[in-house]
Amino acid sequence: MSQNISVKVKVWRQDGPQATGQFESFDLSGISTDMSFLEMLDTLNEQLLKEGKRPVEFDSDCREGICGSCGCMINGMAHGPERGATVCQLHMRSFKNGQTIVVEPWRATAFPVIKDLVVDRSAFDRIIAAGGYVSVKSGRHADANVMLVPKDTAEKAMDVAQCIGCGACVAACPNASASLFTGAKITHLALLPQGKVEAARRVQRMTDQMDSEGFGGCTNIGECLAACPKEIKMEAIVSMRREFIKGAFAEPPRQAGSDNA
Amino acid sequence: MLPKIFSSSVFKKILMSLTGFGLVGFLITHLIGNANLYRSGSDPFNTYAAKLHSLGPILEVAEIGLLGMFVLHIVTALQLKFRSRNARQDRYAVNASKKGPSKSGFISQNMALSGLLILAFVVLHVKQLHFGPGMDAGYVTNVTGESTRDIHRLVVETFSDPLNVALYVAAMIVLGLHLRHGFWSAFQSLGLTCERSSKALYIASGLLAALIAGGFLFMPIWIYFGVQS
Amino acid sequence: MNLDSKIPSGPLTQKWENHIANLKLVNPANKRKYTVIVVGTGLAGASAAASLAELGYNVKAFFIHDSPRRAHSIAAQGGINAAKNYPNDGDTVWRLFYDTIKGGDYRAREANVYRLAHLSTAIIDQCVAQGVPFAREYSGELANRSFGGAQVSRTFYARGQTGQQLLLGAYQAMLRQVDAGKVTMYPRREMLDLVLKDGRAEGIVARDLVTGKIERHAAHAVVLCTGGYGRVFYLSTNAMNSNATAAWRCHRKGAAFANPCFTQIHPTCIPVAGEHAQSKLTLMSESLRNDGRVWVPKRKEDAKKHPSEIKDEDRDYYLERKYPSFGNLVPRDVASRNAKDVCDEGRGVGSSGLSVYLDFRDAIKRDGENVIREKYGNLFDMYHRITDENPYQVPMRMYPAVHYTMGGLWVDYNLMSNIPGLHVLGEANFSDHGANRLGASALMQGLCDGYFVIPYTIGHYLAQVGAFKLDSESSEFKAAEAAVNNEIKRLMTVNEKGKRTVNEFYKDLGKIMWDKVGMARNEAGLKSAISEIQKMRAEYGENLKIGGNSSELNKNLEMASRVGDFLELGELMARDALMRKESCGGHFREESQTPDGEADRDDANFSFVGAWEYKGANAEPALHKENLVFENVKPSQRSYK
Repeated sequence: MSQNISVKVKVWRQDGPQATGQFESFDLSGISTDMSFLEMLDTLNEQLLKEGKRPVEFDSDCREGICGSCGCMINGMAHGPERGATVCQLHMRSFKNGQTIVVEPWRATAFPVIKDLVVDRSAFDRIIAAGGYVSVKSGRHADANVMLVPKDTAEKAMDVAQCIGCGACVAACPNASASLFTGAKITHLALLPQGKVEAARRVQRMTDQMDSEGFGGCTNIGECLAACPKEIKMEAIVSMRREFIKGAFAEPPRQAGSDNA
Repeated sequence: MLPKIFSSSVFKKILMSLTGFGLVGFLITHLIGNANLYRSGSDPFNTYAAKLHSLGPILEVAEIGLLGMFVLHIVTALQLKFRSRNARQDRYAVNASKKGPSKSGFISQNMALSGLLILAFVVLHVKQLHFGPGMDAGYVTNVTGESTRDIHRLVVETFSDPLNVALYVAAMIVLGLHLRHGFWSAFQSLGLTCERSSKALYIASGLLAALIAGGFLFMPIWIYFGVQS
Repeated sequence: MNLDSKIPSGPLTQKWENHIANLKLVNPANKRKYTVIVVGTGLAGASAAASLAELGYNVKAFFIHDSPRRAHSIAAQGGINAAKNYPNDGDTVWRLFYDTIKGGDYRAREANVYRLAHLSTAIIDQCVAQGVPFAREYSGELANRSFGGAQVSRTFYARGQTGQQLLLGAYQAMLRQVDAGKVTMYPRREMLDLVLKDGRAEGIVARDLVTGKIERHAAHAVVLCTGGYGRVFYLSTNAMNSNATAAWRCHRKGAAFANPCFTQIHPTCIPVAGEHAQSKLTLMSESLRNDGRVWVPKRKEDAKKHPSEIKDEDRDYYLERKYPSFGNLVPRDVASRNAKDVCDEGRGVGSSGLSVYLDFRDAIKRDGENVIREKYGNLFDMYHRITDENPYQVPMRMYPAVHYTMGGLWVDYNLMSNIPGLHVLGEANFSDHGANRLGASALMQGLCDGYFVIPYTIGHYLAQVGAFKLDSESSEFKAAEAAVNNEIKRLMTVNEKGKRTVNEFYKDLGKIMWDKVGMARNEAGLKSAISEIQKMRAEYGENLKIGGNSSELNKNLEMASRVGDFLELGELMARDALMRKESCGGHFREESQTPDGEADRDDANFSFVGAWEYKGANAEPALHKENLVFENVKPSQRSYK
């Protein structure tokens, strides 16, 4: 049943990308356990506004765990203590009355803090832009049923394709590695016949981009797996390595170029 | 200029795995050879040592290869470590593992530390035994019909010092922990596992680490307590 | 105002082909001389940006999120319709067309809807070619399911995350063009004005949400793909940042807003939990109604009892009772309205009395818990997580919530608004769903517009205007920029003395909209909504508290301007609902119902698109009518009895 609790929220405040940040603590009472974590932050922000203070900035959009906008470290865990959930799916019933909750932004060199809990994850877009696609154009294609895909393969592809790009894997990784994110896309496309054609070029370009964004290397610790709200498995990273080795024996990638008119 | 692939962090992990496997291979042969210490008397071990040295140039090539792998393993590890350091310059005030599938822990997060400890041990170990007092210092025996180095005596003398015993035992524990994560990790880095084999390999890796570390670890104890004679 | 729909002549089935043949083309070598602005990167925006860039146009893509992949299309669960007829159950392009136009209660254009149905099959081929992991059969062929009460299985899906997978497909196609240098992304930018020159759309003014800087961007055409306006109700299944600002600013610049009162209320959403600061509602897939039975207690007195204490004979399975042939699978609008009715009678359940049971007891008894878990496990888990109630043991509680808006900016057959150069795609336009959208048709429309319509029709426009020199330094741009700056300055000035937060106003607006412009509307309620909103608008201009400043990331400031626009839009919706003295689709006027309480459509007087022209902040808008002509289908009363 729902009840009201009091919590102390110790949250990271940083005015801008260049500013130095620090923690600031707030006491909140009358927090319903039915509230989501982000609704608790909404409540805090209303309180701050009334006191004439600057609200805590954080990203959030769909609030049902699919858009990947939200994300922060809660008591040292990416997306908080609940497994397989984003911050917006975390409810206050996961916390005890009187508990102190430490809230920090994702921390990685490749994810610079913009303000408070808001970070810049555009590095992920650049990794996808380096080959996370099948190079087909809009238009007429063969009928969708011409190329058969075994049910099991489609399911495996979906297991990794459901990555929401939230960045929790990077945030949780002791090395700040983006291997789970990158591996998920490489694996998704390498599993399907449509994506196999350019698999070699894709894996080389995407992993190069991952490195040049300044992410760390993977040391197979697997904290990313525990943090991933979609519970993507180690197989995504292992299969990325397989594709990498296969790709290394393929022809070197041609110079990236536009095929546009 | 080296091909671009050599600078890839994925390639570096592959290199770590391959050299790691090579080093594990060495450890296993080293352990099998040294198992002669568990046999009674000094002859079996000295005979093994003499035979090994009679290989001449083959041994030298193997030693250089081993050294190469060792150096490559360390240099690559350090490169990766620095990459990780740079990847997160601001640390978290609070950090905790979400457990579950995570293998996060002191060991898996401190492979570089355990690696450096092992390096320090290896330097000491090689200095003490490989480059320790030889035939000109009077450590001479005759097991194959000609005079060879009495390495057995040196080993026994070394392990009569409880400090050395403690040091070696500690080093072997560190080695075991390093292998515990490292051996399994190497399979992952080479893309050789699937979901089920990964679990089995994780257990196998634990067993292998225990076997190697345990096999070496009991030698100094065995000798110190004079079980052998 | 000229509302020429430009529907091509000829038989319905050949209109699109004929039209393409008559469209002007831009020479391949000349395409690179054109720049097109795409605002929004959901299904419509991302697919349009990718397709136009592939053709060779330079595309500037603007979005309010940090990444194009965050757009709210990502949250669509159920699936995408296409008339492939793979299951051999009698589906045809014509049937999809007919179902869509009938489902929309005959308030959409035949020609647009037919084109949508016709192109639906190509969308599936396109997405599969991109590597979208649709569900498969053991044969390796694509799987289909029946959805939203459709009589045929024409819905393609990727688990309960179809929107996500389709959006990622379009997003990846778009990023491929970023890599090729043809698309430039402008993340965390909000379009705050449309710039017109000689009556043509030639660019936008946008705010960099990180720095607060106001930017001018010129282009030969603007493509608006900014989604719907369901958040005008405050609580909805839409995302926190979904808003109507870009569309509304275009409306202020002269774009007609069509059928604003047509909103869809989805029947199966997790009800409001209590008095706490609830920020949004969560949709539970409609597929649950395939096995769940909807009921409330027969007697008011039982409403507060635990469901297990209510005997079968004391339960009212009202959908099964009233609609024996469709039962729990009646269309969304009918299911929603009935839920409201029983709650209004005081028979609603839960602590608020605002929910009905969706009970799986009988299904679990019939099929076993494992079968139900396999079908709906993730939905049950989601429900459990949010409500802390285990739906395997107690019935789910559901209540309708705002989900989709059929209305939007008026567009012609080319998807161009009445402002030349301004094209509107996806949910942001009004065109294809009439007064009610069928399940799994939103994804179809967004992608159809972006992949297969705009690439043809925009060329027709561009070829006519030519690759004129872009000039963002013109007086028109500077005036638009100054106006945006002044508006922000005004908000920040109000903020200095204001007492009420944006959210407080916003919640009040939501309550007015939900109570009076929601599931059931009447003249008195609508009139009072209009006057209440007007009062609120006045206070909003004087007593608003925002916090922070305008030269930094300030989400409250973003919300302040969006809520300001929602206030104006809400008023227009009430006006539109007041004008439409009939019940059709999602629009239910209490004055216009049959004796047994069903929607009573009035084709003699209201078979038209109501397009509103903006006349000033405090002036009454002008209504323009585009008459709907039905040459191929005969409008009939919907009946699900």
